[in-house]
Amino acid sequence: MMSTILRRLAQLPFILLVIYTLTLTLAWAVPGDPLENPEGRQPPAEVQEAMRAQYNLDSFWSFYFSYLKSATGVQYLADLATGEIRREAESAREAGVAPRQRYIFDLGPSLQYRDWRVNEMIGSSLPVSATLGIAAIVLALFIGIGAGVIGAVKPNSFLDISTLVIALIGISLPSFVIGTVLLLLFGVLLPIFPTGGWGSPSQMILPTVALSFPFAAYIARLTRMGMIDALGADYIRTARAKGLSENKVLFKHALKNAFLPVLSFLGPATALAMTGSFVVERVFFVPGIGQHFVNAVRNKDLFMIMGVVLVFSTLLILLNLLVDILYAFVDPRIQ
Amino acid sequence: MTRLLVPLFALVLLLGVVIGLDSSPPRADFVFINASDINTLDPQRMSWMQDLRATRILFEGLVQTDIFSWGFDVQPAVAERWEIRRVEEPLVNAMGGPVLDEQGEQRTATREVYTFFLRDNAKWSNGSPVTAGDFVYAWRRGMLPDTASPYMKFFELVRGAAQFHQLRQAMLSEYQARPRAERNRAEAEALYREAVDAFEIGMSGEAARARFSDPVRRARLGLDDESSPWLLDNGVGMRAIDDRTLEITVYRPTPYFLDICAFGTMYPVYEPVVSRFEEPNPVTGTLVILGAWTKPEHIVSNGPFELTLWRFRRDMRFEQNPHYWNRDALKIRSIEIPSIEDSNAQVLAYQTGRIDWMSNVEVAYRGAMWEAKKAYYEEHKELVEELRAKGYDQFEIDRHLPPDSRLHIHVIPAFGSYFYNFNCNDKLNDGRDNPFRDARVRRAFSMTIDRKAIVRDVRRIDERKAYSLTPPGSVAGYEPPRGLRSVCDAPTPEERREIADEARSLLIEAMRDMGMGSDPSRFPTVELLFNQEGGHDLIAQVVASSWETNLGVSTRLVAKDLQVFRDDLKNQNFMTARAGWYGDYGDPSTFLGVNRTGDGNNDRNYSNPVYDALLDKAAIEADPVRRMELLYEAERIIMEEDLPMAPVFHYSNVYMFDPHRLSGITSHPRSVQNPFLAQVFDEPIGPGVARALPPRSPTPQSDNGDPEASDSPPSEASR
Repeated sequence: MMSTILRRLAQLPFILLVIYTLTLTLAWAVPGDPLENPEGRQPPAEVQEAMRAQYNLDSFWSFYFSYLKSATGVQYLADLATGEIRREAESAREAGVAPRQRYIFDLGPSLQYRDWRVNEMIGSSLPVSATLGIAAIVLALFIGIGAGVIGAVKPNSFLDISTLVIALIGISLPSFVIGTVLLLLFGVLLPIFPTGGWGSPSQMILPTVALSFPFAAYIARLTRMGMIDALGADYIRTARAKGLSENKVLFKHALKNAFLPVLSFLGPATALAMTGSFVVERVFFVPGIGQHFVNAVRNKDLFMIMGVVLVFSTLLILLNLLVDILYAFVDPRIQ
Repeated sequence: MTRLLVPLFALVLLLGVVIGLDSSPPRADFVFINASDINTLDPQRMSWMQDLRATRILFEGLVQTDIFSWGFDVQPAVAERWEIRRVEEPLVNAMGGPVLDEQGEQRTATREVYTFFLRDNAKWSNGSPVTAGDFVYAWRRGMLPDTASPYMKFFELVRGAAQFHQLRQAMLSEYQARPRAERNRAEAEALYREAVDAFEIGMSGEAARARFSDPVRRARLGLDDESSPWLLDNGVGMRAIDDRTLEITVYRPTPYFLDICAFGTMYPVYEPVVSRFEEPNPVTGTLVILGAWTKPEHIVSNGPFELTLWRFRRDMRFEQNPHYWNRDALKIRSIEIPSIEDSNAQVLAYQTGRIDWMSNVEVAYRGAMWEAKKAYYEEHKELVEELRAKGYDQFEIDRHLPPDSRLHIHVIPAFGSYFYNFNCNDKLNDGRDNPFRDARVRRAFSMTIDRKAIVRDVRRIDERKAYSLTPPGSVAGYEPPRGLRSVCDAPTPEERREIADEARSLLIEAMRDMGMGSDPSRFPTVELLFNQEGGHDLIAQVVASSWETNLGVSTRLVAKDLQVFRDDLKNQNFMTARAGWYGDYGDPSTFLGVNRTGDGNNDRNYSNPVYDALLDKAAIEADPVRRMELLYEAERIIMEEDLPMAPVFHYSNVYMFDPHRLSGITSHPRSVQNPFLAQVFDEPIGPGVARALPPRSPTPQSDNGDPEASDSPPSEASR
């Protein structure tokens, strides 16, 4: 088990390097000039040239390597080794001010939002999205497993069909519709919850529900299928024959096996939910990371595109690994 | 199973902790939605409306404009008074010698010297006084190519600023040409100090030769070349005589110079903090600005408010600057700008009382909201008519009426125009001859755009049809030319046909001369380029169908992504393309400059020496009336003869706020707002209480043949 984990961790940098190369190639090919205001005043050409040189945007390879150096922390180590960082701290102390913030994994400045660095932007928005995403997944688990079990116990009953219908709606309806309907119902018509924003628990409820809906629906379908399979299996008949209570049979024996497909779904689903939903964040103006995916590409903000993609990929790979570990933990057949 | 539930409960617990830690301060006194998210709060680097608006909350310039006066009067701000005098300055050449004219006489130039006397109670938010040196530092930043200020042009009004910029550019190029081993941080720092010296003492003649003893370097910088454009004798025309006195030499008499001094990019910044966040790049030698100085923990500002919270894409919060000299004028203690991008979400937030002012209503149903307001006006027709006749602005009219939620939407004229660019190159980018190279073709296309349909059916907020680039009534003392008549102005179908025929014969005439035959249907398919979002597709459809029906040409709509669209514009990769422009200062040149040959914003690549000469002449014309005549003639050339662009409509701003609860928003057509002057009332207020534009003596409505013109809303600017 340990060796598997270590092997997977060792693969991580290589996978990331491939992703980095592919994404940068694609992002570089997107037409448009990242230094230009699409609808604003243009600085003179020679100024733009100087800026391009400053950001290493004048050649693909110089950008490729300089960004790789700073994003992987090599640059930081080099500065540490040459004493650059210590010098900086000293000069700051002499001047009596706080030294400027250095990041080990420096994802660069944002070209669109000049006052921010990509590290700050991701640092402020990822926790928000992660909180919202985990809450949504937890809620989806409760709703999904509950609905799935109910459906499986009495297949084709009224309850089963109604959960099926709701699940279908949840999978097919885009979240901007669900979000807007929730907002209108519980934000405006019955003003129970605030219409959006972030910071208080009440502001979290509507976006969590909107975000969890499709996940809950999918989990419900997975659980139902798994439960129906499991309930027909021999070991369930054995358990019942032993005279175990129905609750014990359902939750102790059947669900344990039925949960496995849900678990493998949870890895990518959690990564997806945690890295935010552009739509849900927009409808409820949640300051999460989802919007950056879209905005960064639209503005051709190269540093932001690369930063977001690298963080998302790392998260996805790590969560998948975590799920595999959990899998072994739940299902002793897998080692 | 229970083993699985443990991590689940741990997660729930964690969630609770995260939410508990994350809290927001109580609602601010005034909450508004800005035009968009802030791109930067660094005054010298900004160019977007939302940034400039935030700057007026945080910083204060030498002077300010009174947004509640029709003339947009200049008022004292950090400077409590100023003096202006004209001087004749002898011109010097690169070697420090005199520049002689043909008769061998010393040539001189007329300069304007502004002396600003700063008030002694102007303070930064940390309590230290605002000095003349702070302005010198900020403006020097604006002149440096390192800052890449989008508004460098404004700084170049200072004598020697353009040369200083070029000198620094030359120094950087020289630095970058050195071997990599000779470039390091110390060298880059020395280079910057050299530039600062040049700013103060000048860079030509003996002083420069003494400084640059290495002949190779001197030659590379062009110091021995008499024709070098960047050599300065007396340095840049800006100096702090003492802490309270600032002298600025403007290189030519500029009637709108004070107006520009009130513009956000000209505001001072606090050197002790900002310079900590500027560091020379050892490779390029340029001074790299690290944005972090604008964060609440670092920023020091001199305006009415200070920044206390800024969470990216979430919210900004401002509290009164305890050291601001004019705190008596402030009626609110705190301002909040939440970041809400989706316009529907904005309206919901407004309706639930979360925000007080929406500065840009973009929801699809805003046309219907505006209709509802007009219906409400109709219910109070007599009163509204009477108030309009007295010259009240829209907000004050609303305050005379009984409160009603229909009154919350406001449409006010903006300082901008929407138009279609024509490519003026001889060839299109694909190598074909450009049919729009002939001005007659462009005239014909402009005459046949159905502006009325666009304004009435597409935009639906009663914007004004445009026949000029400068919005009428927006600049005091200037009325733009009437422009070409358009098919949509014809009162009868016969007349409409007549105008269309005139346009078609213009087109056919031009086609014959270009050797394209005389059948408009053989005219190359006209491509209309626009960017996908923002409703430009609907406008393009109307424009295309006007051209098809009135001229008989075929058309094709080309929608592109904003970045690609921008790229295409820059490279003239289009036939016709949608565009827009907002003015920056109260002078027609803020609009007309975009058609100057070689201007960075001249996407049309239009070039007419006569037009350029008129702008140049106007730039040095001392008599204000004569100056406006020259600018009028320039605008007449582009709007009645050459038509590098076809004006479509003048923009309006759509605001949402309760006029009975909020005061301090102006309806002045210059589209500038000072959010720090806002006041929010608990009880509904009537007329005469709010900060608002005074009643204006009604201007006689000029008749442009449009029977619907009198139906337009109480907009103060009329054609």
